[in-house]
Amino acid sequence: MEQQRESSLPHKTTASLRISNEVVSVDALLKTCYWFSRDFFCDVQKDGPGFSLVSLKRKDSSPIQMEELRDTFMNHALDFALRERVTAKTADIRDILLAKAFSESGVLEDRPEGVFGDPIEEAKSDGMFKILGNS
Amino acid sequence: MARSFYPPEAFSPRPSQFFLLPFRFTRFNDQELLVNEAGEFLLAPKGTARGLVDGTIDTTSALYKDLKAKHFAYDDTSSPLLDVLATKIRTKYDHLDGGTKLHIFVVTLRCEHSCHYCQVSRQTASKDEFDMSRETADRSISLMFDSPASHVTLELQGGEPLLAFEMIQYIVSGAKEQAEVRRKTLNLVVTTNLACATDEMLLYFRDEGVKVSTSLDGPAFLHNKNRPRPGNDSYERAIDGIERSRVILGYDNVAALMTTTSTSLDHVKEIIDEYVRREFHTIFLRPISPYGFAVKTKTRTGYEIEKFLDFYKQGLSYILEINRSGYRLSEIYAQILLSKILTPHGTGYVDLQSPAGEAWNVLVYNYNGDVFASDESRMLAEMQDWTFRLGNVHRDTRHSLFTSEAALNMFEASCNQSLAGCSDCAFQPYCGADPIYHHATQGDMYGHRPTSGFCTRNMEVIKHLFSFIEKDDPLTMGIFWSWLTGGPVPTEGLQCA
Repeated sequence: MEQQRESSLPHKTTASLRISNEVVSVDALLKTCYWFSRDFFCDVQKDGPGFSLVSLKRKDSSPIQMEELRDTFMNHALDFALRERVTAKTADIRDILLAKAFSESGVLEDRPEGVFGDPIEEAKSDGMFKILGNS
Repeated sequence: MARSFYPPEAFSPRPSQFFLLPFRFTRFNDQELLVNEAGEFLLAPKGTARGLVDGTIDTTSALYKDLKAKHFAYDDTSSPLLDVLATKIRTKYDHLDGGTKLHIFVVTLRCEHSCHYCQVSRQTASKDEFDMSRETADRSISLMFDSPASHVTLELQGGEPLLAFEMIQYIVSGAKEQAEVRRKTLNLVVTTNLACATDEMLLYFRDEGVKVSTSLDGPAFLHNKNRPRPGNDSYERAIDGIERSRVILGYDNVAALMTTTSTSLDHVKEIIDEYVRREFHTIFLRPISPYGFAVKTKTRTGYEIEKFLDFYKQGLSYILEINRSGYRLSEIYAQILLSKILTPHGTGYVDLQSPAGEAWNVLVYNYNGDVFASDESRMLAEMQDWTFRLGNVHRDTRHSLFTSEAALNMFEASCNQSLAGCSDCAFQPYCGADPIYHHATQGDMYGHRPTSGFCTRNMEVIKHLFSFIEKDDPLTMGIFWSWLTGGPVPTEGLQCA
């Protein structure tokens, strides 16, 4: 999935990670790098079909140890990849929610779905009672 | 004849699949913190977010029921209750309703103090060319009531506004007259150091319903160091003014604010003790604003945000200790954030909103008629940075102020929902955007979140509050809820068994 190339520079102030874009998209890598940009100079390059190469050069002020860098970066990158999936799955309903929230006319307010009543009783042919549904 | 009942499963049929509602998440200690669009949260086991996305959460589990109840998921056995969630989102943003509510009038730039951290370019007490004119006051009042808000607050500020007391009287009278004509309600506040407050002035405030907001930076040595004035007696005058104001206006009509300077950082307990000694029941542990003289005199007053956070956490811990002993003292910033985290409501606090409160919720009318998006943007202008001057009362209307290039540029960077670093942040519903702060500190209204003092401070304070929520100590949570509801402060003896 990914590998780390240790730098040949002294004190290991740089590192490169080759990451499959099937696992973490370029956008998610860029978002990860954004948050790492306080402590590292970051670069993202294409590295063959379907792969990105992330280069990180540590700033003097960084509290992150180079030994922890790979795991820390990947944790963040995988979280951003997961956030992308949440966004993709919920973008449409989020738009509807916000439209409903800020619509003052009430035109976007739906009647609740389903039947007002007791679906179990209603499913019985000899149900003791039946309350009218809204359909 | 016995009546037979259906088994429990019949009333909670297992859904064949579930669907996601929008949410954000972050790792939090050994758990995950999930937050939905309305700010409802759930502390859940690690892997919950992935389980939701992959559809592997056990739909018979207690976790799934929590996720459903808190609007992170819905299924075919439940209505998605979109309208309920939409209503919760609308409630969270109810501060947007009605437009600008807080209107700050800078009645004079004159001041007899020379505070190092002052956000205003003060003028000596004798230069009355820095006072607001009657024409500017009239036009400012008119613009204030042009706001769609049915209820507005007029804050009289300076400099030291009591040095222009006649102008205060003129504005209060004119504003009340206009409020009646326009059928709006009006709150009046004067922000003063009280050093020059006479009993006649305080009686006038009482009669006109003007509340007093003053400064108290801590005990005498600290207050006088932060707030130099001729005679070095700022503290003594402030305390005298507070006591007289309370007698004349009543306790509830006098509030105090403190500012944290680098000297304050080592004295958090003394500052809090001073507020308790003076019988205040609120304290706002405020960092210094990175504007005006606070920037010019950084070596005297400035500090890194991390030092402020240590100060804040120590202070909050001490405040909780005081509450546990039975004395009610709420920390305002924690109260604002807890309200956003624990209740369905947003807050009217203009410095932590998205869209940012600047202009939408506050406008500043300077002594010369210039209109600014906030007090901080006025102060930037005093340093020759006019980026946030929206216009002038003598040539602009509310419409032209809000469609000015200055306003439109600012509005673009005013929503944390669309800012880099904020758009994915789990704390977004609790936080805000502050284009003026980022312009002042980073030279860019959008700002760079990883190095932003605003982001560092809010992230850290929100995480700190969530650490209390995670521990769920009944006494601490009881104290927090008492701050939010105004109910009695629980003491040790009232802990749940």
